[in-house]
Amino acid sequence: MLDVLTGNGSALHQTLIFELRLPRALIAFSTGAMLAIAGVLMQVLLRNPLADPYVLGVSGGASFAALIAMLLGFEAAWVTGSAFLGALFSIFTVFILAQGQGGWTISRLLLTGVVMAAGWGALISFILVISPPDKVHGMLFWLMGDLSYDRPLGPGVFILGLGLLLTLPLCRQLNVMIWGEKQAASLGVDVKHIRLMIFFLASLLTAGAVSLAGGIGFVGLVVPHFVRLLVGNDHRILVPASALAGAILLIWADVLARTVMAPMQIPVGVLTAFLGVPLFLYLLRRSK
Amino acid sequence: MSIKIHNLTLSIAGKKICDSLNVEFKPGECWAILGVNGVGKSTLLHHMINVTETCSGNIVIDDKLLSDYRLQRKLLAQKTGILLQDYEYNFPCTVLEAVLIGRHPFISHWQWENENDIEIAEAALISTELYDLRERSTATLSGGEKRRLNLATLLTQNPDYFLLDEPTNHLDLNAQVNMLNLIEKHVVANNKTAIMVIHDANLANRYCDNVLMLFGDGEWASGRTRDLINAPTLERLYGCSIRSFTDNNETVYLPA
Repeated sequence: MLDVLTGNGSALHQTLIFELRLPRALIAFSTGAMLAIAGVLMQVLLRNPLADPYVLGVSGGASFAALIAMLLGFEAAWVTGSAFLGALFSIFTVFILAQGQGGWTISRLLLTGVVMAAGWGALISFILVISPPDKVHGMLFWLMGDLSYDRPLGPGVFILGLGLLLTLPLCRQLNVMIWGEKQAASLGVDVKHIRLMIFFLASLLTAGAVSLAGGIGFVGLVVPHFVRLLVGNDHRILVPASALAGAILLIWADVLARTVMAPMQIPVGVLTAFLGVPLFLYLLRRSK
Repeated sequence: MSIKIHNLTLSIAGKKICDSLNVEFKPGECWAILGVNGVGKSTLLHHMINVTETCSGNIVIDDKLLSDYRLQRKLLAQKTGILLQDYEYNFPCTVLEAVLIGRHPFISHWQWENENDIEIAEAALISTELYDLRERSTATLSGGEKRRLNLATLLTQNPDYFLLDEPTNHLDLNAQVNMLNLIEKHVVANNKTAIMVIHDANLANRYCDNVLMLFGDGEWASGRTRDLINAPTLERLYGCSIRSFTDNNETVYLPA
């Protein structure tokens, strides 16, 4: 390992680390971080600590589009691109539909998103049913969250960087927003502007994560929740801490996914759920 | 230096709250806004600091139109602050962290709260008798403690104009008086302005020197408390007959 890093390792080891392991770890890192930040933002937007990045249907749109691309036999890079477009489509549809007269209310936004997600769910089931059996396995892997195939790394890292760069300056305003929009407005926060920023940042980060790695569950819900319990609700600490924790969790989940049943790989989304469900239920019980 | 409301006509959902309202809230004054449920007292209060709403007539805060604060929201938040009826407590933090959000309008974008901000917040906690609870989670507070926390946050913000939407909500008799004493001591006595929506005409009578009454259908009356709070006016305001008792030179009004 050290030899490889200093440039003295064998060609095989060089390839193994720089072309397989490192990119995969970086994808796990950025996906975990994006999901965790998106989770924090979605929780503030919906003012509900149990919201997760997928609640407004972003992942549904991404999954549907990714599955269509897979059905048509596109390559991995196209699947990623298609998923991203699907996510954007879903984001804007929810955004436009949730605007009633006089703007959003949280419940209308939430209901619109949940219903959209349900619609995407039905379309996904439909695609799975009509797809040829040899493709269904890959599709299911994708839906459960999968880091195993080759994919472009750049866009994910870019979206994570952009997301962090735009989220960090908002953090003190997030601290005010959790007390309600009227309170935030009375303390000088431009609530409409911040709400839009939060919505689009959360959506963009989710779109980035889902396009990169499919529907990895529970990172976006459990990590922010867990970090809130550890460091409190000051978002200036919470956001970077969650990003780091999400990244670390996903790297380790991926290591486990590769090794527990080796040579067979488990979709990493299944592992995060295995880790996430009991942890979450434990935290929920303890918090009451 | 004052909040001047000039010729304000405000309607919501087809219902007129006030018609050509003219009133000025000056430093050192304590105002009560009285009226029946749903007449629009809170709406009017919120309207006075909402930079985005449009209305006929105008609101001038310290010689500047309210809508001109649109690009200076933090400046407006240094001048005006509001105690809301309800807050959201979904994300618990410590009591000290909670009141520190009152410093938001005073801290520039990249700065964190400094010693001075924390001193101001702690002083507010001391005056609301929450200092011993400063490390407690907001999730563990009782209704009365939460109300004091809300006031402590507003005291930490320390604006020139305190808008208070039912400050005595959720409070027992003694706590109601304590709350209004605090407002009197920290706001009115410091030559700041308090404008409160309140349902108890007797507390208004005791603590406020000026009253704005909303009768519905846009009718309103404003003036000195001693001129406006009397049985006939209250009967007209609340639409019920009122009995009054006098004890220790203080007149108390009760529904008959």
